[in-house]
Amino acid sequence: MLVEFELIKRAQKGDGAAFNQLVLAYRKRILGTIARLIGHPEDVEDVGQEVFLRLYFSLDQLRSAEVFEPWLYRLTSNAAYDYLRKRRRRMESRMADLSEQQVVMADALASEKVDRDEGQRRRIREAVDSMLDGVSEEDRVLLTLKEVEGLSLKELGTIYHVKENALKVRLFRARQRVLKAFATARKHAVGASGSRQ
Amino acid sequence: MDHDKMDHDKMGSDDTRLDALFAAYRDACPDPEPSANFMPLLWQKIETREHTSTVFGRLARNLVTAALALSGILALAVSLSHSPTLPTESYVEVLAEDQARESLDYFEPVHIEPAADQR
Repeated sequence: MLVEFELIKRAQKGDGAAFNQLVLAYRKRILGTIARLIGHPEDVEDVGQEVFLRLYFSLDQLRSAEVFEPWLYRLTSNAAYDYLRKRRRRMESRMADLSEQQVVMADALASEKVDRDEGQRRRIREAVDSMLDGVSEEDRVLLTLKEVEGLSLKELGTIYHVKENALKVRLFRARQRVLKAFATARKHAVGASGSRQ
Repeated sequence: MDHDKMDHDKMGSDDTRLDALFAAYRDACPDPEPSANFMPLLWQKIETREHTSTVFGRLARNLVTAALALSGILALAVSLSHSPTLPTESYVEVLAEDQARESLDYFEPVHIEPAADQR
């Protein structure tokens, strides 16, 4: 926890200063999570403000201060999901459309051959964003929270209000879909580079 | 058999690559620094939504009050326009009167006017 329970309780009672402190403590972490969930840096602050706006108006429904973080993550994933659903960019760029360059870069990265300068980072972001655009918003949010944010199954279970076993199945299926898309894109890329030679 | 093993190995290597890609993605997307406008804009949005919900709440309360008043007036108007005159006779009396009227209809003698040429 980044803050004391007392601060959360004060914010729950409508203390504006306490809420302000709460936002200041969590905003960077939440903005980071949103950035990785939605993949559009230009919209991160908007979605972040939506999360804290929802927090402000729903804080009185929080049962106890101990579950504040999962609650905040739930609001974050819901806001990111709403944003992604609105954009529906995945219809435009499917995994099959991943450029050869992006896949080659991903392979090189996995082999630790790349120099991680800003250009490379940008390309990594683009590659993963394109790959995640090829799966549903639900899969994208769930996988990002697990694989990128590093949340445990227990934490995810609290956020999603589902049992760990059910979550394991969902995660496995989501990962299989991403893997399938990833493998197909690699095959396309290899085929394309082979036919060019 | 060998084909299955190859598929499994390939899947395993893709799994490893995917993990590496996710890890690299995490490193490539550090937590961004919030802009200076983040907090002022957030409070502005909170105030706007509070104001909107207050206005809507007030509007809803007014609508409910108006609807209640209107239904009260309508109920009063309906009750006044359809105020039934209470019967002074008993049920048996009404029934007897009705039956008497029916009997009269039935037994009423037929008056046949003689034709003009028979007179």
